[in-house]
Amino acid sequence: MNYANLPWIILFLPLAAATVIALFTLGNRTLSALLSIGAIVTGFILTVAFIAGNGFHPAVSETSATWLSIGTLQADFGLKLDALSLMMLLIVTGVGGAIHIYSFGYMHEDRSMARFFAFLSLFTFSMLGIVLANNFLQMFIFWELVGVSSYLLIGFWFEKPSAGDAAKKAFITNRLGDFGFMLGILLVWGLLGSLNFGELAAAMKANPAALGTAATAAGLLVFCGAVGKSAQFPLHVWLADAMEGPTPVSALIHAATMVAAGVYMLCRIFFLLNADALHVISYVGGFTALLAALIAVQQNDIKRILAYSTLSQLGYMVMSVGLSGETPAMFHLTTHAFFKALLFLGAGSVIHGLHEEQDIWKMGGLKKHMPITFWTFIIGTLALSGVPPFAGFYSKDSILGQALAQHDYLLFGVAVFVAGLTTFYMFRLFFVAFLGEPRTEKAKHAHESPAVMTGPLVVLSVLAVVGGFIGITTIYNSQFTPDAEKLTVAQQLLEPLHNIVPMLLGIGAVAVGLFAAYTLYGRTESDPLPAKLGGLATAMKNRFYFDELYEATFIRLHDGLAAVADFIDRWLVEGLCIGFIRGGTDLSGRTLRLLQTGNLQTYAFLFTLGVAVVLYLMLGK
Amino acid sequence: MSILTYISGWPLLAALLLVFVPANYRVIIRFVALVATFISMALAICMFWHFKAGQTGFQFEQQVPWVDSLGISYHVGVDGLNVGLILMGAIVGFAAACCSWEIERREKEFYILLLLMTGGILGAFASLDMFFFYFLHELALVPTFIMIGVWGRGERKNYATFQITLYLSIGALLALIGLIALYVQMGAHTFDIPALIKYAQDPHNSLSLKAQNFIFPLLLFGFGILVSLWPFHSWAPLGYGSAPAPTAMLHAGVLKKFGIYGLIRIALPLLPQAAQGYVQIIAWLALGNIIYVGFVAMRQRDLNLLVGNSSVAHMGFIFLGIASLNLIGITGAVLIMVAHGFLAALTFALSGYIFKTTGTLEISELGGLCRKLPFIGTALLMAAMAGCGLPGFANFVGEATVFFGAWSQPALHTATVLAVWGALVIGAVYMTRAIRNVLHGPLPQKFNQLADAANLWRKLPYALLLVSLFLFGCFPKLLTDKIEPDVKPIVTMATQARAGVLPVALNSTPAISN
Amino acid sequence: MQVGLQHYLVVSALLFATGLLGVIIRRNLLVMYLSLELMLNAANLALVSFSRFKNSLDGQVLVFFIITVAAAEVAVGLALIVALYRKRQSAHVEDLTSMKL
Repeated sequence: MNYANLPWIILFLPLAAATVIALFTLGNRTLSALLSIGAIVTGFILTVAFIAGNGFHPAVSETSATWLSIGTLQADFGLKLDALSLMMLLIVTGVGGAIHIYSFGYMHEDRSMARFFAFLSLFTFSMLGIVLANNFLQMFIFWELVGVSSYLLIGFWFEKPSAGDAAKKAFITNRLGDFGFMLGILLVWGLLGSLNFGELAAAMKANPAALGTAATAAGLLVFCGAVGKSAQFPLHVWLADAMEGPTPVSALIHAATMVAAGVYMLCRIFFLLNADALHVISYVGGFTALLAALIAVQQNDIKRILAYSTLSQLGYMVMSVGLSGETPAMFHLTTHAFFKALLFLGAGSVIHGLHEEQDIWKMGGLKKHMPITFWTFIIGTLALSGVPPFAGFYSKDSILGQALAQHDYLLFGVAVFVAGLTTFYMFRLFFVAFLGEPRTEKAKHAHESPAVMTGPLVVLSVLAVVGGFIGITTIYNSQFTPDAEKLTVAQQLLEPLHNIVPMLLGIGAVAVGLFAAYTLYGRTESDPLPAKLGGLATAMKNRFYFDELYEATFIRLHDGLAAVADFIDRWLVEGLCIGFIRGGTDLSGRTLRLLQTGNLQTYAFLFTLGVAVVLYLMLGK
Repeated sequence: MSILTYISGWPLLAALLLVFVPANYRVIIRFVALVATFISMALAICMFWHFKAGQTGFQFEQQVPWVDSLGISYHVGVDGLNVGLILMGAIVGFAAACCSWEIERREKEFYILLLLMTGGILGAFASLDMFFFYFLHELALVPTFIMIGVWGRGERKNYATFQITLYLSIGALLALIGLIALYVQMGAHTFDIPALIKYAQDPHNSLSLKAQNFIFPLLLFGFGILVSLWPFHSWAPLGYGSAPAPTAMLHAGVLKKFGIYGLIRIALPLLPQAAQGYVQIIAWLALGNIIYVGFVAMRQRDLNLLVGNSSVAHMGFIFLGIASLNLIGITGAVLIMVAHGFLAALTFALSGYIFKTTGTLEISELGGLCRKLPFIGTALLMAAMAGCGLPGFANFVGEATVFFGAWSQPALHTATVLAVWGALVIGAVYMTRAIRNVLHGPLPQKFNQLADAANLWRKLPYALLLVSLFLFGCFPKLLTDKIEPDVKPIVTMATQARAGVLPVALNSTPAISN
Repeated sequence: MQVGLQHYLVVSALLFATGLLGVIIRRNLLVMYLSLELMLNAANLALVSFSRFKNSLDGQVLVFFIITVAAAEVAVGLALIVALYRKRQSAHVEDLTSMKL
C-alpha cells in the first residue's frame, strides 16, 4: 500500500463529505450525518495506519504541488509530515471524531442537522489543512477557512439575534488578528524570499540575523494571528460569545482544536521568534491566563465558565511557547483537547438533559439522574484542575517547570495562582451544578443522554485520565528536542518528582482552590462571593468591561470614520462638487435659453446682425 | 476568421436579428438572446481551453485592414491579459441573459441592448486596435445609460442616469483625447497596439517626458473615471443601485474592467516614465477606494448601495497592483479583474433576485432570509465571503497576490499595510453586518411567503458564477500561468526607462516611509 | 453717365435690404415670403451683373439654376402656406408658435 497518498486522502475526505452533503443530501439528515462521521473516522483510522507504517518521522516529510507561481512569489499546496503535524492530525481526527459521533445524538432533534454536519466537515477539512500546511500562505488560507467555518457554526441558529451577533463578532475579531498575521507573512516573505516553513527554517538557521531589525516585528505580527485565533488578550472577547453555537461546536472548535491552532502555529514557526518577541508572547499568555481565570470565577452560564477556562488554559500554552517550551505547550494542548472536549460534551449532555438550561444555579443534584455524565464530568474537572495523576497535572506541571527553568518567577507565580483559581472555579461549577438538591423542576426531571452521546464521554474520560503518561511528551520531544531521552510509562508517571518545587506548589495551589471552593460552594443556594468581593466581583462578572471598552473605542472609531466618509461622499462629493457642476450647467442653460425666443424673425435679425458684424470685421478695415 | 470574432459577433448578430422579431414574440426573443450568449460563452470556454499557457504573444489573431490612411485595422487577438477577461465577460453575459427574466416591459428593446453590451465589450477586450478598442467599448457603454433610464428602479433613477452618463462620458472623452494624443505623438501612423508597442521599444521612438506627462494623466483619469477610481466613484454605487440587475452585472462585472485593461495594455508600456512618476499617486488613490469607500460601504442602508460601494472598494486593489509596477502586482491586478467580474455579477444578480421577491433592498426591512431562501441566501453568503477575501474564492488569490506585489515595492509599504487593513478588517465589518441584517436574525412576518430559486434553470446563473469563482480560487494556476508570460514584457517596458530622468511628479509627491 | 457695375450692385443691395427688412419686420407669412423672393432676386441681379462685366457666362448659368429652384421652392412654400391658412385661418407668424398642427 502506498502510504504517501494517505495524508492527502485524510485531508480531502471531509471536504468531499461536505461537498456531497451540500450538493446532494441536504434533504437526508441521517445519511448526511453518517457521511460526515464516516469521513472523519476514516481519517482517524488512516492516520493511525499512516503512523503505524511510517512512524512519527516519515522518510518523505513533505509532499507538495505548485499552487501559485508568479515571479518570485512561489506558493505550494503541500503537506508537512512530522511529529508535530501527525500528533495534531491524531487529535483533530480522534477528538473530532468523538465529537462528530456525539453530535449525531445532540443534534438529532434539529431540523438543519444535515447543514450542521456539512459545516462540521468543512471545519474538519480546514483544520486539517492548517495542521498539514507546509507554507505560510497555505496556512493563512486554511486559517481563514477555519475562521469562516467557526463563523458559520457559531451562527448556526442564525434566527437567534444573539447567535448572529456572536458569529459576526468572532469573525471580525479574528480578522483583526489575521491582519497582523498577513503583515507578518508579507514581512517574512519580503526579507527571506520564501513562504515554505522548511526553507525559512533553513534560512534562519544559516543566518539567525536574517530578519535584521524587523525580527521582533515579524515575530509579533505573526503572533497576532495566534492572538486572534487562540483568543489571547486583547482579542479574547469573541470566545465567550462564541458559545452561542451548538455545544458540540464549542467542544470541537472553541475548545479542542481551532483555538489551539494559534499555539500550534507558534510552535511551527518557532524559529522565527527572537527573544524580545518571545518575551512579549509569554507575558500576553500569562496575562490572558490570569484574566480569564478571574472572569471565570464569576460566570453562571455553564458554557461560559468552560469558555473562560479554555481562554485561561490557552494562555498557559501561549505562555509556555513564550518561555521557549514548545513541548510543554503542545503537551498541554493535547491533554487540554481531551479533557476540555470532555467537559464541553458533558456540559452539552447536561444542557440536553435539562432541556436547554445553561444556568448552573438552576441545576443541582444531577448525580442521581445522569450518572455517566456525572462521573465523566468529575474526571474532566480533576484533569483540568491538575490533580495527580490525571492528564492535566502532568502537562501543567511541565509548564510550571518550564517557567521555573527559565527563571521567570513572575510568570511562575501567575501560573501557580491561576492553577489555584482553575481548581476553584471548576469545583464551584461542579458543586453547584451537580451536587446538592435540584433547584428547579427541570433539574428534577433531568434524564441521562443516549449512548451515542455518553460513549464519546467515556472514551474521552479515559484519555483524560491516562493522557499524562502514555508517551505524548516523547513524541513532541522527538520533534523539538531530539536529544531528550525516551521515557517508559513508569518514568513518565514519576516524571514530576524530578522537579519537586513546581510540583509541590502546583498541588498546593490545587488543594487551596479545592478547599476554598468547598467552603464557599459546598452547600449553598446562592453565590456568596459578590458580597465578599464587592466591586471586584461585579467587574469579574462583567468580564472587566472589555466589551464595553471596545464598543466605546474601536467600534465607535470605525463607525465614526464611516460616518465621516459617508458625510463627505453625500455632501461634499455628491452635494457640493457634483451639485456645483450640475447647478452651474443648469444656470448657464437657463440663461442661454433666454436667447432662444422661438421667434423666426428674431433669429433672422440676429443672423443678419451676425453676418453684418462678420462682414465688417473682414472688409471694414 | 478568428474564434474571437465569433465570440463577440454572435451577440451582435443576435441583436441585429432581434430588430426584425416582433415585440410580442417574447419567448423567441428570450430564446435568441440566450442561445447567442450561450454560444458566445461556449466559444469563450473553448478558446480559454485551447489557449496555450506559457507563451508570449497573441493567439487566435486576425487582422483585416480597414482605413489604411489612418492605420486603422480590425485586429483581434488574445494574450494572457485578456484571455481571462473574455472568458469572464462571456460567462457573465450568459448569466446576465439568464437573469433577465425579471424584465417585464419592453423586453425586445432590453434584450437588443443587452446583446449589444455583451458583444461590444467582448469585442473591445479582444481588439488590438485602439480605434476598435475604443469604439466597441462605447458601443457597449451607451446601452447602459438607456437601460438604467428606462428599466431602472428607485426614485433616484433619473438622477443616477444623469450622473452615470455624465461621468462615464467625460471619462471616455478624456481617454479618447489621451488616445488621440498618443497616436499623434507617437507618429507611428497606426492604431495597432502591438505595432505601437513594438515601435516604442526602439529607444529613439519613445515619447518625450513632456508628452508622456501630458498623456498619462489623461489616460489615468479618463480610464480611472470609467473604473470609479476615487474620488470619481460616486456614480458607481448610485448607478448600480438604480440599474436593473442584468445591466449592473454586465457593467460592474465586465464593462468596468475596460479602463484598467486599457491602462495596463496601453498606458503602462507606452508611457513608462510617466507611469513611474504616478506610482505614489495611484497608490494613494487606490487607498481612497479601499479605505474610504470601504467606510462609506459600512454606512449604507440599502443592500445594492452597499454592494456597489464594496465593488468600488475592490477596484482599489487593482489600482494598488498597477501601482506596484512589478510582475506579481500586475498579475494580481489582472487576477482581481477576472475574479471581481464574476463576483460583482453574482452579487448584483442576487440582490436583483432579492429585490424581485421581497420588493425592497432596505437592509433594516430585511432579515432572516436564509430560512426562506436557502439557495439564494447561501449564494449571497458565499458572495459576501468572497467579497471580504475568503480563500477558496478567486478574489482572495488576486488580493493576496497584489499584497505580495505591493509589498515588494518598498515605497508602497505603508499603502500595503492600509490596504491589508481594508481587505481583512473593513471588508469583514461591512460584509458580516450585511449578512447579519439580511440573512441572519428573525424573518419578518411579511416575508413568510417568499419563494427560493426553485428550479435548476433559475439557479443556473448563480451556480455558474459561483463555480467560476471557486474554480479560479482553488486553481489559480489556470489563470496565472497564462497571465504571467504576457505581463512580463509590459513590466519590463514599464520599468526599463528608470535612468535619471524621473518625471517631476515624483519629486512633488511626498515620499512615504518604508 | 455710364452705368457701371456699382450701380447694379447698389440696386441689388437695396433690393436685398428691402427683402431682409421685410422678412424681419413683417408678420404676415405671405409678405415674408415675397420679401424672401426679393432677396433671392437681389442675388440674381448681382450674379447677372457680375457675369456681364466679367464677360463670362458662369453667373448667368447659376441664375438659371436659382430661378428653377426658386420656382420649385415657391410651389412648395405657397402650398404649405395655403395649407396652414386653411388649418388655422391665419397667416400671421404670431399665431403659428406651436410646431403641431
